Amino acid sequence: MYRLILKMAYKNMFLRVHRTLLVITMIAVSMSMMLGIQGLYDGMAENMIEKNKRSGSGDIALFAKEYRVQKELKYRVKNASSIKEEIENIKGVEAAVLRLKAEGLLSTARKSSFAFMQGMDLEGENRFGRFEEFLKEGEMRLEKGDAIIGLELAKTLKLQIGSKVVFSTQDIRGEINSIALKIRGIVQTTNIELDNSAIFVDIGEMHRFLGTNEEEATQIAIICKDEKLIEKLVIKYPELEIKSFLELKPTMKMMQDVMLIFNSITFFIVMSVVFVGIFGVMYVSVLDRIREFGIMISVGMRYKYIRVQIFFEALFVGIIGYLSGAVLGAIILLYIKNHGVDLSSFSDALEMWGYEAVIHGTIKISYFTTTFAAIIAASFFSILIPLRKIKKLNPIEVIKADK
Amino acid sequence: MFKLALKNTLFYKGRSITTAILTFVSTMLFILFISMQDGSHNSMLENSLKIYTGAIEIYAKGYRDIGGNDYLIEDAKAITDKLSKIDAIEAYSARYETYGLLSNKEYSAASMVAGVEPSKERVLSSLESALREGKFLDEDSKNCIYMGAELASKLKLRIGGEVAFVGGASEGSFAADIFRVCGTFKTGSFEFDSSASFLARSYFDELMYAKNKASYITIKLKNLSDADAVNSQIVKILDDEKLESLTWKTLMKSMVEAMEVDNIFGYISLSLFLVVIFFVIMIYGFINISSRIKEFGVLRSIGLSKRNIFLLLFYEIFILSTLALIVVTPLSAYICYYYSINPIVIEGIADMYKDYGIVSDEIPFDFNPFTIVWNIVVIYILNFISILYPYIYINSFKPIEAIRHV
Amino acid sequence: MSKIILVIFIFATSLMAGEAHDIIRKLDENFRGKNIYMQLSMKVVSMGHERVMKMQSYSQGTKKSFVKIIYPPKDAGITFLSLNREMWQYVPKIERIIKIPPSMMLQKWMGSDITNDDMVKQSSIVEDYEPEIIKREGSVVTISLTPKENAPVVWGKIILNIDTATYTSNKDIFYDEEGKEVRYFIYKNVKKVGNYFIPTYWRVESSDVAERYTEMVIEEVEYDTKISEEYFTKSALKRFSK
Repeated sequence: MYRLILKMAYKNMFLRVHRTLLVITMIAVSMSMMLGIQGLYDGMAENMIEKNKRSGSGDIALFAKEYRVQKELKYRVKNASSIKEEIENIKGVEAAVLRLKAEGLLSTARKSSFAFMQGMDLEGENRFGRFEEFLKEGEMRLEKGDAIIGLELAKTLKLQIGSKVVFSTQDIRGEINSIALKIRGIVQTTNIELDNSAIFVDIGEMHRFLGTNEEEATQIAIICKDEKLIEKLVIKYPELEIKSFLELKPTMKMMQDVMLIFNSITFFIVMSVVFVGIFGVMYVSVLDRIREFGIMISVGMRYKYIRVQIFFEALFVGIIGYLSGAVLGAIILLYIKNHGVDLSSFSDALEMWGYEAVIHGTIKISYFTTTFAAIIAASFFSILIPLRKIKKLNPIEVIKADK
Repeated sequence: MFKLALKNTLFYKGRSITTAILTFVSTMLFILFISMQDGSHNSMLENSLKIYTGAIEIYAKGYRDIGGNDYLIEDAKAITDKLSKIDAIEAYSARYETYGLLSNKEYSAASMVAGVEPSKERVLSSLESALREGKFLDEDSKNCIYMGAELASKLKLRIGGEVAFVGGASEGSFAADIFRVCGTFKTGSFEFDSSASFLARSYFDELMYAKNKASYITIKLKNLSDADAVNSQIVKILDDEKLESLTWKTLMKSMVEAMEVDNIFGYISLSLFLVVIFFVIMIYGFINISSRIKEFGVLRSIGLSKRNIFLLLFYEIFILSTLALIVVTPLSAYICYYYSINPIVIEGIADMYKDYGIVSDEIPFDFNPFTIVWNIVVIYILNFISILYPYIYINSFKPIEAIRHV
Repeated sequence: MSKIILVIFIFATSLMAGEAHDIIRKLDENFRGKNIYMQLSMKVVSMGHERVMKMQSYSQGTKKSFVKIIYPPKDAGITFLSLNREMWQYVPKIERIIKIPPSMMLQKWMGSDITNDDMVKQSSIVEDYEPEIIKREGSVVTISLTPKENAPVVWGKIILNIDTATYTSNKDIFYDEEGKEVRYFIYKNVKKVGNYFIPTYWRVESSDVAERYTEMVIEEVEYDTKISEEYFTKSALKRFSK
C-alpha cells in the first residue's frame, strides 16, 4: 500500500512540474544563499578567534601579577619553565609555550617606532599554533641576529626582508641595551597587537640580550580542550594571574555572540518564508485535486493514506529542494572556503579590526543538519491546513463540484 | 484593462492577500533593516566623534604628518573669529596637544597632554561624561590634570596624587611642572585611556607658551550630515594655503571603511531575505496564473494581445503592491521616525561592554525619507520582475491549448 | 710570484686597515680626552624659528656625562646625567629627578637634530664600526665606517672626512641601509687645546628637510682636568643645578 502511495506522491509531484520546480528552486536558492552567508560570517569570526588564539594567548595564559598593567620585565614569572613542564603533564593540555616580552623602540636610520620584542621558541610555537602558517613574506628562521616582524610594523618602518633594525630596551638591570636584527620574515597573524607592534626573536637570544635566564618568561600560554583547567590552575598557582582567552579578548566574545544572534535571526526568517512558499504550493495543489481526493475517499481509501500521500508529496518537494540547496550551498561554501571573498579594497578597515582582506568561509555539518530539520518541519507544517480541508470533505459534494 | 485587473485581484483573494502580506512584510523588513543599520552606524560615528574627534578639524599643513612645534596654528583666534560667522557650526574649540613625560616616583609614561577649554569640551566631547573618579576640569582648575584611567593605574596615581610633567614648550624650551590628579576617565578606547590626559588651557598655555596657539581647532556641527558643505565653506572663509580643514571622513578613515564593510554584509543578508520573499511572491503569482490558464486562453481568443495580457498582470501586481505599500510605508516610516527619536534601549549592553568601547546601549534608527523612497522603489521593481516568469509561462500556451487546459 | 704579490697585498691592506683604525681612535680621543669639560651654545633653526641654548658639559670616558643648561634663564639649572646608557633629568622648577625611559631616549633632543641617544652613545664609532680608507687628498683622509656585524646601530654607512694634521673631521655623512644620505655633520674652526684638537663649530643638518639645522659653537673647552667624580652621581643633578 505504502509503495503505491509513494508512487502516487512521486507522480503528483510532476503533475505541475513548473510549480514544483519553482518551489524547489526557491528552496535551493534561498538555502544555498543562507548557507553561504552563514559560512562566511562564521568563517570570519572563527578564523579571527582561532588565529588570535594560535598567535597569542592560546586558551589560557599565565602572567606574573601586575605584569599586564605595568608591562615591565620586572614582573616576570621566575620559574616559568618548570611551571610549563608541570602544565604540559596535566591531562587535556595540548601544548604550552613560554614567551618573553619587552617594550622598547625599534629604529632604522630614518624612523623609529614603539614596538615590543617577543622572544619565543619557534619549534614550540609551531606545535602550539602552527606559527609558520602566518608567514607572509621571507622565511621562518630565528637564528642569532634574526627577527620576524609583524606586517603593519614592517609597513610603518618601511622594512623589507633583509632590512636591518635596532631594537633598544631596558635590560634586567635597568640599563638600556640595543640589539641589531635582520628581518628574515614578515608575518600577518591578524592579531592586531602583534601585527602592529611585534618583533619576534629566539627566546634564547632574548635571554642573553636582557640578562634573564632560561627559567624565566613573562607569559605562559596554553592550548587545551579542558574548560575546567583554568580553575585548577588558579588554585595551583595562586601567585600568578591566570586568564582565559575570552577574558583577555572580550571583544571576541562579543563578536561571537553577535554573529550567533544574527545567524539565528537570518535562519529563522528565511525558514519562515520558505515555509510560506511550500505552504502556498501544497495548499493550491490540494485544492486543485480536491475532486480527486473526493473520489479516492469515496472508493474507500482511508483518510490516513491520503494524509501520508500528501505528506510524502510535501516531503519530496522539501527533500529535493533541500538536496539541490545542499549541493549548491556546498559548492558556494567550498568556493568561499577555498578562494575566499576578496575585500581588499577595504583592507585598512578590515585589518584594523583584525580581519584578513580575503575572508575565507567555514563549513559546518550543522548547517546542513539544522537546515534539513527545518525544511522537513516546514514541509510537515505546510500540509496541516490543506489536510484539514480534505478532512472536512464531503465526498459526494466534491465529486459533483465542477471545480 | 485596469478594471479587469482590479476585479481579478478581488476575485483571487488567496493570492492577493498573500502577495500583499508578503510585500508588506518584505517592505517593512527592508525599510527597518536599512534604517537600523544606518542609524546604528550614525550613532557609532556620533559616539566616537563625541569622545574626542571633531566633525571637522582645522590643522596647519604638516601637523598631521610630521607634527611638532613647527606646524602649530599660530593665531587660533583669527580662525575662530571667522568660524563664529558660520551658522551650521554648533561649537568649536582650539586644542593644544603635546607629548611629554609624566612621572610619579619610579613610574613614568609618555603621554599625550592636551590643553582644552573645559566649558567647550562639555559640548564638544564626551570627556566629561567618561568621568570615572574625581571631577572634570573647569576654567580655573589650575594644575588639575584629568587623566585616562589606564594611564593613572600605570603611574600608580590616585585622585589628589601629584605627577611630574616634563616636555617641550611651544617655542622649544623645556616645560616642567607638577600636576595634581583631579579626575580620571574611561572612554572605552584602551589606547586613549592609557595615553591621554588633559588640563585647562588657561593654565597649560602659561606653562607651554601656547597662548592663542593650537595644534588644531575642533568643530562640532549642528547637523553631522552637513560636514562636506560646511567644510568647503570653511576652506573658503579661511582662504589660507597653510591650513587644511578636514572632515570626519578623512579623520576617521578606517572607521568609515569599517562601516562600509558592515554595510556590505548588511546588504548581503538583506538580499537573501529579499530573494526568498521574491520567490514566494513569484510562486503565488505563478500558482494563481497557472490556475487561470483557461481564462487567459479565452481572453486571448477574444482578441487580447500579448501586450494586453502583460498589462493585465502588471496592473494586478501593481494594485497589490501599491495597496501593501500604502499601508506599510507610513507605518514603517513612523516606526523609523519613532525609534530615531526614542532609540531602542537594550538594558545592560553598556554595562557589560563599557570596558570595551561601547558607551551607549541605545540603538537608534535613522529616519530618512530619501532612503525610504529608494527602498520602496526596489520592492516595486522586485514585484514587477516576479511576474515575468509567470507571463512567459502563460505565453508558452497557444490560445486554443490554453482553453482546453485542465 | 703571484703568491708574493698576494702576501704583499694582504700586508698592505691590513696596514691600511690598521691605519684607519688608528685615525678613528685618534679622532675619538680628540672628542673626548680622558675627560673633557665644554661650554657650548646651541642654535636650532627650523622653519623660520630660531632658538639658542647654552650649556656646560662634563664627561669622562664613554659612559659618564653630565650636562647643565645655563641659558635661556627659564631653562637654566636643568641638568642631565647619563651613566652607563641610563639617563636622568633634573628640573629645578619642580625639584624632581626624572628618569628618562628608553622610549624617550631616541626622541629629538630639545628640538634639535640630535637625539638623546646620540648624546649617550658617543662611544660607538670605535666599537661598532669597521673603518676603511677610501680616499686621500693631501692630509684629508676619507674614511668609510661600516657597521660591524650585529652592531646595534641604525646607520648603513658613515663617511668621515678627517684631516690627519689635527685628527678632526670636517664632514660626517650618515647613510641609511640603502645607501641614501640621511643627515650630515659639518665641523669648522679647529682649535688646539693642550695636546688635543677640537672643531669649535658644528652643524647638523638633515638631508631631507630643508630650512632646518642645528648649530653648536664650543665656547670653552678643557681636557683632562680634574673633574670631580661627584658630577657623575644622581645627587649631582640637584647639587650642581644651582
